[in-house]
Order: sequence, then structure tokens, then C-alpha cells
Amino acid sequence: MPRPLPLALAALVGSAAPCSAQLLVQGIRDLDFGPVIQGIASSVPPTHTLRSGQFYFRTPALGTRIRIQFTLPTRLNGPGAARMPISFGTNDAMAQGTAPASVPAFFNPNTGATYTMTTSRDANVWIGGRVSPTATQAVGSYTNTIVITVTIL
Amino acid sequence: MRFFTRVSVATAVSLSLAAAVQAQTSGTINARAIVRQPITITAGQDLDFGIVLQGTPRTIAETAAAAGRFDATGTASANVNVNFTLPANLVSGANNLPIGTWTGCYNQTAAVNSSGCTTIASMAGTTATTFGNVAGAGRLWVFVGATVSPAAAQAVGTYTNTVTLTLTYF
Repeated sequence: MPRPLPLALAALVGSAAPCSAQLLVQGIRDLDFGPVIQGIASSVPPTHTLRSGQFYFRTPALGTRIRIQFTLPTRLNGPGAARMPISFGTNDAMAQGTAPASVPAFFNPNTGATYTMTTSRDANVWIGGRVSPTATQAVGSYTNTIVITVTIL
Repeated sequence: MRFFTRVSVATAVSLSLAAAVQAQTSGTINARAIVRQPITITAGQDLDFGIVLQGTPRTIAETAAAAGRFDATGTASANVNVNFTLPANLVSGANNLPIGTWTGCYNQTAAVNSSGCTTIASMAGTTATTFGNVAGAGRLWVFVGATVSPAAAQAVGTYTNTVTLTLTYF
């Protein structure tokens, strides 16, 4: 009598494992503003070859329609209770497929973007931003987390 | 009937989980910045060759009393790159007095070049160092020397030009 239930569970495991392997998202490189001066805002464009943040994702197949969204901080956390504003402009994110024919597409990381994977099934996404230290900003190191979420539509 | 109900529930959960794994995945990076104080550089002392004679080169070492000196402040212990913009001539109206063989050193603890001054290996390149920590304040003193080479027929007069020091956090 109870056999059907174990069968249902087997189906659950069997279907979940292959699907997680088909959509891969990785953080590759931190968005690194480097040294910034008190009272002077500093920007990093998504095209910066060293300082822009970088993600990589791979979809199951060509033709996959995906949505890219970010969870963005509004402050970087510094020494003690020090906080520093960080913001992201309308062209501070850039996505480009890995195929030679792929061209970069700029978008607003605050709102995200939707693409169809036409030339490659994987892509890189770069993100820039702007920090605005005050004139009395506490010196030291500041960090926070940027999360990218890729959704297959 | 009870058996069928259980199976239906299990199947529903199964489909829901499978769809979530397939549809959405996240990745994470950090945003990082290092806040530093503004760098200030003041001209502590001009590089002064005094009176030079036609046809006779004169050298002022970076460790000499007449060496040029820059006084800089910044964030204590912070990394900084040292670069110079150096003239090839001193100028007096339309006349040029060649200057070269630049030398330099920096001190992180005091405005002293007679001892404790670290030689700058390449005045044409970038030198990486740090601001000193003097009673909690970031300090750096940079000294420069050079050689002027007046021609035998060098026009008499007063010759000057500008030496520029650039400090950049890294």
C-alpha cells in the first residue's frame, strides 16, 4: 500500500539534480573601488577591466529567456559603525555572451534586464557603481554584498 | 481514498521544488572601497644650485642641504606611489640650461635627508612606498637632487623650472 509515496520522492530528487546543473551562476570578481578620498565621490564603470564586479552565468540552451536582477546595497560597511553611500547608475551593468559575435548590452542594475540567449548559452555580467565618501568619512576598509539572481522565464 | 490523497500531495511538492531549482540561481560578490585622507604636498625647499660657472657642471645630491624637498601628508601607513615630472632644462628667457641625472630619496619619519632617507631607484619610474606614521599622522618627505650642465658659452642669468611630485594611493 505505501509504495507510491517513495516513488514520488524519487521523482523529486531525480528531477531536481539535473536542473540545478543546467543554470549556473557564479560571482567572479569583486567590485573594487580601491582607495577613495574623503569628500570625493568615485565611480567605477562596468567596462573597467580590473575594478568592475563580474558574474558569470550559464543557461541550459540557446534560446533560453532569462531575467537578470540584482540585490544592491545602499551603504558599504566600514570600521565600527561607519557607513558609506554606494549607488548604481542606469548604465552601470553590462551583459555580454561569451560567443565572439556577442555584443555588450548595458542596463540599469537597479531594475534588471531580460534577455534571450541567442549567440551563446553563457554570459558574463559586469557591474560598476559609485561611492560617495563624506569629507569626514572614517578612514579604513568598507565592504558589502552584491547579489545577482538569474531567472529562467 | 486516503492513499490517493497522500500521493497527490507528494507529487505537488515534487513539482514545486523542481521548478524552483530550474528557474532561479544567484551569485554573490563584494563591493569594496578603502577610504583615505586627501593627500597634501607642499614645497618644503627649492632645489637650489646657487651660482654655477660656464662650462662647469654642478651636482646637488638628494642628501645635500641644498636638495629640493617636498612635504606630504596623507593617511598613516597607506600605500602610495611616487612619481615625478622632471624638466630637461632650466630656463632663462629663451635660454636653456640642461639639467639631468636626477636623484631622490624619501623619509617617512622626519624632514631629514642626511640619514634615514630611502633612495628612490628610478626617478623616471614609479616608486611604491607608504606614508609614515608620525604620532598617528601620515607623513612623507621627498628629496630631490640633480646635475646642471652649463655650456662654456652659457648665457649668464637666473634659470628656473618646475619639478612636480605626484603621490597616488594604491
